[in-house]
Order: sequence, then C-alpha cells, then structure tokens
Amino acid sequence: MNHTTTANGSESALEVSTKAVEAEIRDRADPREVLADRVAQLYRQMPIAIGATFIAGAIATFELQGRWLKELVLMWWAIVVLFSATASLLLYAYSRSADKVASAPQWLRWLGIAALANGASWGLAGGVFFRSLSDEQQVFLAFLFAGMASVGIPVYAASWPIFALYAAGILGPFFYVLLTFGNRLFVEIALLVPLFYAINVAIAYRLTQVFHSGYRLRQAYGKLTKDHRLLNQRLERQLVELEEARRQVEASGRKLALFAERAPIAVLELQPNGTVAEVNHAAEILFGYAAAELVGASAKKLIRPDLHGDFDRVWQGLVGARESVAGLKLTHPRRDGIDLVCEWTITPLVNVERQVIAVIAQGRDVTAQLEAERMKKEFTSTLSHELRTPLTSIIGSLQLVTSGVMGEVDKEVAELTAVAERNGQRLLDLINDILDIEKIESGKLTLAPELFAVDELVRESMVLNKGFAERFRVRFQAHGDAAERKVHADRKRLLQVMTNLLSNAAKFSPEGGVVDITTEDAGPNVRIAVHDRGGGIPEDFRSRIFGRFTQADSTATRQKGGTGLGLAICKRLVELMHGRIGFQDRAGGGTTFWFELPRHTT
Amino acid sequence: MPDRPLQRICYVEDDEDIQRIVRTSLERIGKMTVALVTDPTQAIGVMAEFRPDLVMLDWMMPVMDGPTLFRQMKLRPETSGLPVVFITARASQRDLDELKVLGAAGTISKPFSPKDLPEQLRAIWAAMP
Repeated sequence: MNHTTTANGSESALEVSTKAVEAEIRDRADPREVLADRVAQLYRQMPIAIGATFIAGAIATFELQGRWLKELVLMWWAIVVLFSATASLLLYAYSRSADKVASAPQWLRWLGIAALANGASWGLAGGVFFRSLSDEQQVFLAFLFAGMASVGIPVYAASWPIFALYAAGILGPFFYVLLTFGNRLFVEIALLVPLFYAINVAIAYRLTQVFHSGYRLRQAYGKLTKDHRLLNQRLERQLVELEEARRQVEASGRKLALFAERAPIAVLELQPNGTVAEVNHAAEILFGYAAAELVGASAKKLIRPDLHGDFDRVWQGLVGARESVAGLKLTHPRRDGIDLVCEWTITPLVNVERQVIAVIAQGRDVTAQLEAERMKKEFTSTLSHELRTPLTSIIGSLQLVTSGVMGEVDKEVAELTAVAERNGQRLLDLINDILDIEKIESGKLTLAPELFAVDELVRESMVLNKGFAERFRVRFQAHGDAAERKVHADRKRLLQVMTNLLSNAAKFSPEGGVVDITTEDAGPNVRIAVHDRGGGIPEDFRSRIFGRFTQADSTATRQKGGTGLGLAICKRLVELMHGRIGFQDRAGGGTTFWFELPRHTT
Repeated sequence: MPDRPLQRICYVEDDEDIQRIVRTSLERIGKMTVALVTDPTQAIGVMAEFRPDLVMLDWMMPVMDGPTLFRQMKLRPETSGLPVVFITARASQRDLDELKVLGAAGTISKPFSPKDLPEQLRAIWAAMP
C-alpha cells in the first residue's frame, strides 16, 4: 500500500515537473518569434507548391485541350500561370522583406489568400470541365484533385487554416459538381469528399500542432542558449573580479601583517577570554618577553598585579559592551622587573553576528613622557617657589638700601645697589613670564572676567607704567572716541597686556617722545592701540614677533630689559579673551601695536 | 575700621632673611613693633603673650603651613579673634577665596616690596570692620 502511494506520488511529481518544463518553455519562447518561424517554414515550401501547380496545370492543359473548347482551356492555363507568377512575386517580396518577425501576421494573411487562389484555380477546372469529360478523363481529374489536395498537407502543414482554405478551394466546386451530376455513384463519392476533407484538415491540424511546439522548443532553446551564454559571460567576468578581489585581500592582509610586525608600537591580538594570541616585534622588545612566552598566556602576565581589578573592569567593557578604549594608561612589569607605563588603544573586533572574535591592543611606551611631564611640573614648582623666595630677599634688601630707609649711603654704592635691584627685578619678571606662558599653554590659566570701560583700563595702565615713562623720558598721551565702550574681560590680565605694550613703546621711543594710546571701534570690536615713534620692526623679525623668547636685538635687551616672552603672553591672553592682536608700521615712522576685544552690548 | 592705629605685628615665617627684611621695613618705615616666630608650632604661645594687633602668616612653611596654623588659631580663644594676613607666593584664586571664607583679613603676594609693605598692611587694617 505504502509502496504504491510512493510510486504514485513520485509519478505525479514527475508529471508536475514535466508540466513545469512545458510551462517554462512556453514562457521562454517569444510567440512572435514562433509565428515568424512558422511563416518562414510556409514560404520555404512555396516553390514546391508553385512548381507542383505549374507542372500539374501543364499536364492537365495538355490532356484537356483536344477535347474541349481550346480557348477556355488556354484561358484556365493562363489563370494558373498568372497565379503561379503572383505567388512567385509574393515569395520574392517576402524574401526581401526587412523585419520578418514584426510583419509575420501580414505575410501569413497574404499566403492564405495565395493558397485560396491556388486551390480555387483547381476548383475552377473541376467546376467548368468535369461534366463534359469522358470517364477516363474524369478519373484523371479526380486523381489530380486528390493528389493536389494531399500535396497541400505537407506544404501547408505549418498552418492548418491555410491548408483548409486551399483544400476547400479545390474540393468545394468538385463536391458540388459530383453531387449535382445525376449519378448515384458520383453522389456517393461526393458524400465521401467532405469526410476526406475533414480527415485531411484534422491531420493538418495535428501537424501544425507538432510544428508549433517544435518551433516553440527551438525558440526556447535558442533563448536558453543565449541566456546561458550571457550568464556564462557574466560568471566569467565575476570570476575574474573575484580573483582580483582575492589578490587584493591577500595583498592588504600582507600589508596589515607588515604594519603590525614592523610598527614601532606594541601590537597584541588577544582572544575574547584575555589570552594572548599574537604579539609583534615591538611588544617583544618592550616587555622583554619572546613571543612564544606570551602567546597562550593571559594578558594579565603583563600587568602589575594590583591593577588586575582595573584591567578586569576595562575588559568587561571591551568584550561585554564591545566598546573600544583609548588613552588607557597601565603599568607593566617588564621581564627584568622594571615597571613601565604604556598608553593603550584597545579595540574589540566584532563579526557580523556582533560577537567579539578578537581584541586588538596597541600600546605606546609613555614612561619617558610621563617622567618628562613630572620633571616639568617639578621645575615649574621650583621656579615659582624656590627661585622667587630668595629673590624676594634680594630685591627687598636692595630696595630698603636704595630707598634710604637705612640712612644715607654713598652715591656710587647707591648706584650699584640700584643696578642689582633692577636686574633682580628682571630675573623675577622672567620667572613670572615663564610661569605665565606655562600656565597658559597647559590650559591652567583661569580668567576672571568683569565688565569695565576701556577708559579705565587705559588710565590705570598709564599710572602703573609711569615708572617706565620716567625712566625712558617719554610721555604717555591717551585720546580716542571709544573710551566709554565697555568690555567683558579679565582686567588684571589686560593690564598685563597694556604694561607689555606700553613698556615696549617706552623702551623703543626716542627720548622726549610721545607714546599715543588710542581707542576706536573696529566692527563688533573695540581696538586699543599703542603708537610709538621708534625705529620700527626689522623685516626679518616681523614673522616671529609673537613667538617665545624672541627679541629683535639682544643688545637692546641687555640695555633696556625685557624677557622676550612679553608679546607671546600678550597674544595668548588676548586670544583667550576672544580678541586678536597685531601691529603695523606707523605713517611718519614708528610702530603701532593694537589689540581688539569684543565690544560689550546690553 | 578699628579705633586705634595698627601697632603690633606678629609675623610667622621660616625664612630668617625675609623675617629680617620685614622687621626692618615695619620698624623703620612703619614705626611698628614686631614679634617674629620661626617655628609655627610655637606661634600660638607667642601670640598669646605678645598680644598683636595683626598676624602675618607665611603660606608655605615646613612642619605646619600657614592655613593649618590659621585653622588652629581659630580653635583657641586667645587667638581666634586676631586678624590674619597671608603672605603667599603661589596661592590659586580658589585657595584665596577659601581663606576669605575662613575669615582671613587679606593676602599679600610674594615677592612684595618692603618699601610699600607698611602701607599695604595699614590699608588692610583700615578696611577691617
């Protein structure tokens, strides 16, 4: 029972698949192409039809002309010749036509008409001549008709309606003549004619079906071959591309391996459980272990035991949350026992299923860098305290002597103490400037902005720098139309900027000169400018005037003081307050230094 | 402003050179009476005995720094009411603000000018309630 079911099942499955194949063939073959194929087949057979008609017509004419009205027979022969010629012209026209596919239905119609005409020319012979023929001739004609009708089957097999038209043209009049002859035998024969006609048409129909499916198969096969060829070409192209891609991947793989192997930083590939999978050469040198000693061991082997807890937390984030880490500093015991600090960038490698398949750690030895930073901090601290404390004593003592508090001293002694005091002050200025610039550059300078009028700043700075004006015998003179404008800035730091600009201007002005201080609006800003009548800025110094430790002329520095940091600090301070600073030559000689700050608006 | 002139100063400072400059400045220019303390742990005892008008504390000292001494002074009835001025070389704005909150009368930054020191102290004295 089971077995039968199975057999039936598989059989029906086969049937379905055959049907599916048929459907696919039907779908694949273009019906217009199939029709064009059938029309081409019909036209290919036309010479046979024309030849057969011509030869049979010639024989019939020869046989009939003696016994019958000669003119009538010749006229019939002329009709046959005319039809044959017309058919030949049709064949010629078809063979010359350009688009046989699109015009196939038209050609089929023309052929149908030609076939009907051909058949009818035979029918005409039957209708007109049959009655008056001798018995032998009647047999000849009947044989001729049967022959011509049966020749039509293979000739018109590709289209059974054409055959039906053709055969009807021959047999129709013949059937009528037989039926109305007045002879019982002929009536019986006449009744057989439609039967033979029907059988022949049925055979033609079957043949048409066979032709049709044959051409459809041919079309489908052609299409399939074409598709297959295109597919093959595409596949070949894809194969070439794939091969190229494989080569590229291989090359970039080699490149990557080279990057890791020759990189100056330590690169480690870790497994998700924290085991070392691979290390590069730099890592071997950094930690003092051979690759074989690290591969397979836990990454913790390279981390100081008291940091294992931290490492576990970081690792959780890496593998659990799949988040990369940058700037992680860890202390590592080298194989020789010396600790070193590395800064790590650690990235989990995640596959398409979001699983961590590896972790790549890239580390840079920052031990020396941290040590340098520590030393710099220590140096700054030393500068600010250890150097300033003794300077306080030096300058203070000298000040007490020069001020006359300790009683009158000899003039030459007073002069020497004044030199000592001034140079002590210069040293202190330098220390303060270095501390300032360090503070600004390390981002540790905090501003204390307040709202005040530009006028106040100018006046205060003039009072503060009166000493400079007196020492270099110049006069400060303020004018301008933006004095009442307000700015929101750090007043003390702006005074520092003004002091730098005014002391510079005083230093480089000729004796008895005037230093002008002007205020004016400049777009959304207020511009404060200090103009001197000095010798101007040397060409080669202009580009680095706001740099660190820059002075145009070291002789002038020794004579007039200054650290070479003043303008660098000014630039940084002004920029911290969202302003800008610059200088330009002054018409008539001298230089103008200016800075701009955003004007405060309510 | 207190109703008497600033007269008696107690100065706690570990650097004896600076002590000497400050003493000269305050005595010669300011005409004040000065008590100097080198060891901050003994400062409170000296203050209790000397009874100064104003105390000057150095910020950075070994053993005990100025702010610590200041907080200890606050705990003792004989010193808790004394006005205190800090002398400092490196206090940040935040440190200064904190001292103001704790009740410091003022700060003078190092290096200071001995010529102007008495004037600076009198200005702080005058600004007191």
